[in-house]
Amino acid sequence: MRTADVIVIGGGIHGCSTALECRRRGLSVILLEKDHVARHASGVNAGGVRRLNRHPDEIPLAMASAALWQSIKDLVGDNCGYRQTGQIRVAETEAGLEAIAARRALVEGLGYSHEQWIDRETLFGLVPAIARHCLGALYTADDGYADPSRTTRAFARRAAALGAEIISPCRAGIPVRTGDGWQVPTDRGPVSGAAVVNCAGAWGGAIAAGLGEPVPIEPVAPMMLVTARVPPFIAPVVASFDRMISFKQSPNGTVVIGGGWRGRAEPEANRALVEFGDLHRLIGNVLHLFPVMREARITRSWAGIEGMMPDGIPVISPSATAPGVVHAFGFSAHGFQLGPIGGRIVADLVETGKTALPIAPFSIERFQRASWREAS
Amino acid sequence: MRPETVIIVGAGPAGIRAAMVLAEHGIRPVVLDEAPMSGGQIFRRQPQGFTRSYAKLYGYEARRAEALHTAFDALGPRIDYRPGALVWNVEGRRLQVLRDGVNETLAFDRLLFATGAMDRVIPFPGWTTPGVYTLGGAQVALKHQACAIGRRVVFFGSSPLLPLVALQYAAAGVAVAGVFDTTPRRAKIAALPGVLAGGTTGLKGLSYLARLALKGIRYHHGITPVAAIGDRTVTGFAYLDAGGRQHETACDAVAFGYGIKSEWQLADLAGCRFAFDADTHQWRVETDAEGRSSVEGIYLAGDGARIAGADVAAETGERAARAILADTGGPDQGAALSTIARRLARHAGLRQAIDRAFPFPAHLAREIPDDCILCRCEAVRAGEFRAAIAALGPDEVNRAKAFSRVGMGRCQGRVCGPAAAEILATELGRPVSEAGRLRSQPPVKPIPIAAFQESKGDAA
Repeated sequence: MRTADVIVIGGGIHGCSTALECRRRGLSVILLEKDHVARHASGVNAGGVRRLNRHPDEIPLAMASAALWQSIKDLVGDNCGYRQTGQIRVAETEAGLEAIAARRALVEGLGYSHEQWIDRETLFGLVPAIARHCLGALYTADDGYADPSRTTRAFARRAAALGAEIISPCRAGIPVRTGDGWQVPTDRGPVSGAAVVNCAGAWGGAIAAGLGEPVPIEPVAPMMLVTARVPPFIAPVVASFDRMISFKQSPNGTVVIGGGWRGRAEPEANRALVEFGDLHRLIGNVLHLFPVMREARITRSWAGIEGMMPDGIPVISPSATAPGVVHAFGFSAHGFQLGPIGGRIVADLVETGKTALPIAPFSIERFQRASWREAS
Repeated sequence: MRPETVIIVGAGPAGIRAAMVLAEHGIRPVVLDEAPMSGGQIFRRQPQGFTRSYAKLYGYEARRAEALHTAFDALGPRIDYRPGALVWNVEGRRLQVLRDGVNETLAFDRLLFATGAMDRVIPFPGWTTPGVYTLGGAQVALKHQACAIGRRVVFFGSSPLLPLVALQYAAAGVAVAGVFDTTPRRAKIAALPGVLAGGTTGLKGLSYLARLALKGIRYHHGITPVAAIGDRTVTGFAYLDAGGRQHETACDAVAFGYGIKSEWQLADLAGCRFAFDADTHQWRVETDAEGRSSVEGIYLAGDGARIAGADVAAETGERAARAILADTGGPDQGAALSTIARRLARHAGLRQAIDRAFPFPAHLAREIPDDCILCRCEAVRAGEFRAAIAALGPDEVNRAKAFSRVGMGRCQGRVCGPAAAEILATELGRPVSEAGRLRSQPPVKPIPIAAFQESKGDAA
C-alpha cells in the first residue's frame, strides 16, 4: 500500500497548493484527484485575484495571499498569466453609494486601506467604456486576475517536481482511522498516511459527512460567457454593487463575463450545465453597464461545479471528529485568490494543529453551534 | 390531451419530407430553418430576382429539386414555417432561436434534427489565404449567387463534390486549372463495382468524370497537397503527384474539401449519445433503426444523422416523421416503415462504395506541417498544438483544447476539430476514435449580444 505523511484529496488549487507547501516542509505527499488537476472550479472560474469586497473574515487571508501572488513565478515557476489590472466595483444608484459608504466604514474600521473610493471622473478615466449613469466606485489598483487552469496546473507541476505523488484519475472514499493514522480507500487501491487533507471542493461535504461532521454545502454551477475578440477597450476587472456581473477583457481580446449566475450542477454526473434562461438577465446587465457591447458576439459559455456554503465563506479547519484530518473546501466561488495562502495554512495545521492567521471563523464546528442552527 | 408541439430544425430534403408526412397526418410542425429559403444546401434556391432555370441550376437533379420546392411551397399554412431562424441552444424541452435579430425561446414536445452537414477540411499551408474556399462554398457561390470564386480555379480533395463542382464551374465558363484527388487510383478502381451496382446515382457520378475528360480537364489521382501559393491572394497550387514529384499549377482560386461532416452540435447540447462511425470516419449521433436518439422525444434524419446524401436524407426524414407519429399515439406505421427500410437498403451498397472511393485521408491531417495554421479562429499553428500536447499531456481533445486554445474560437472546432483530433491521436498513439470528441457549448454559432435586448418569452 502506498503511504505518505499527508494524503490530499482533491486536485484543485487548494489541494495542489497544499501538496506544494507540504513538500516544501519536507512532508511526503500523495494527492488523489478523481478526474484531472483543475477539472472543476479551479480550472473554469473567472480567475479573479481580488481582495476588493471580500468577506471581512477573509481579508487577513486575502492580504497574506496577495503578498504571495506578487512572487507567484518564484513560488510555482510560472507567472500564471497574473496581471495586476485593478479591480473596480461600481455604484450605479443611491443604494449602491450607500453600500460603498457602509463598506468603507467596515474596511477602514478594521484598519485596511486597500479599497479606495474613486469618483465618477476617475472611474470614467479608468474605464472609458462604462455607462455614464455610474456614480463612483471602490477600486483596488493592485488586484487583478490570472489564468485559473494554468495557475492550478503550475501548482501541481511544482508540487510534483518537489516529489509529491499526484494520482489521477483516482477517486477517494471516506478515510478510515487505522492506529494513529488514516487509510483512504480509492478506486485504485487504498493509500495511507498520518494526515488527511480534504480539499475536495463541492465534493468535500461528502467526506466531512463520512467523518461524522456534516455541513450544509450546496453544489452550484456558476456560469461564464465569452465573446469573440474585440479591440482592447478595458483594463480593470469590473463588478457592481447594484447588479450581478463580473466583466473583464482578456489579453487576447475576448471579453469574459460572469458574476455568480448559476446553471445546473450535477455533481453525481460530474458535470455542470449552462442555462441561458438566467443568462438573458446577465446579458441585460452587460448592456446596461457597457453599451459598447451591443456589437459584440457571444461565442461560447460554460459552467463549473463549486461548493457553496450558506454563509459564503469556506471551511478551513482541523476536523472536530477525526484527529489528523484537515478540511479546506467550500470556498463559495471566490477561493482562487486564496490558493497560495491556503496551502500554507493547511500545512501549518497538518504540522502543528494551528496557524498564525485568524481562521476561527472558518471552523467546521460553526454549523454545529446552537446559534447557527437557530438562524437556519 | 393537449396536441404535441413538434419542431423540425432544418428545411433540406430530410426536414421537408418529414414536414410533409406530419402535415399529411394532421400534425402542424414548426419548421425552423437557418437559411432564408427552403431547400437545404443541395437544393438551395437562388435569390429573388434571379431567373436561371431549374435545368441550369440543378443539372441532373432539376426535376427532383423542382418537385421538392413545389411540394414544400404547397404545404402552405399546414406547417408553421420560420425561415432565417438560427437555433443556437437546446435546454431540456426548449430551443433558443435567433430570428430577425431577436432572440426567442420555443418549447417542444418532439424535436427532429434535420440539420444537415458542412464541409470537412484538413488545413494545409496557405489555406487561410484569400482565394481558398471549400468545395461546398465554391458550389454555393455558383448555385446561389451565380458567382465564381475565381477565373482559373484548382479543385482538390477527396469528395464526391470534387468532380461535380469542377464540372459545374467548367459548365459556367470558368477555366478549371486542374482537378486533384488525394485518393489513389487503385482505391477508385476498387470502389468501381459498388458504384456501378448503385444504379443511376452511381452512373451519374461516373458521368461527371467522363464529362470532365470530354472538356479536356485532367483528373489527377493520388496527389498530396503542398500549399496554396501567394501572399495577399492565391496565385498557385503546389502538390506532389502520385510518384512524389512536386508541381505547381497557376490559379487565382482554390476549392478543396474532404467530404462533409454532420452538423450535430445541437444534438450534443440536447444530451444525445454519440458513436464513432468508421465508414465515414467521424462522430455521429446514435439512433435506433427509425431515427430516435438516446434522448426521449428527440429524433434525427438526413446528413445530420449520418452522411448519405439527399435521397437517403428524404427517406430518413419520412422515417423519423413516421416514428414521431407512432410515438404520439398515431396509427401503426409498420408497413410504411418497412417500405422505407427496403428503399434504404438499396442505397447502402452505393453509399459504402462512395465512402471507399472518397476516403478521408487522415494521414494528411496527421502530417500537417508545424508552421501551418491549424485553428484559424485562434491562430494556433499545428506545431504549437503538438508542443502543447507534448508539454501538458492531454489524454483527449477537450483537454487539448484547454491547453492550446484549438477549437476555442467562434467555430468551436467545427472546422479544425477533425484534423486536431487526428494530430492528438497520433501523439497519443491511439486510433482517432479514442481521442475523444469536442464538447459543444452554447451558443453553437456566435450570437450578437444585442439580440438579447428584446428577447421574447415562450411563444410556442
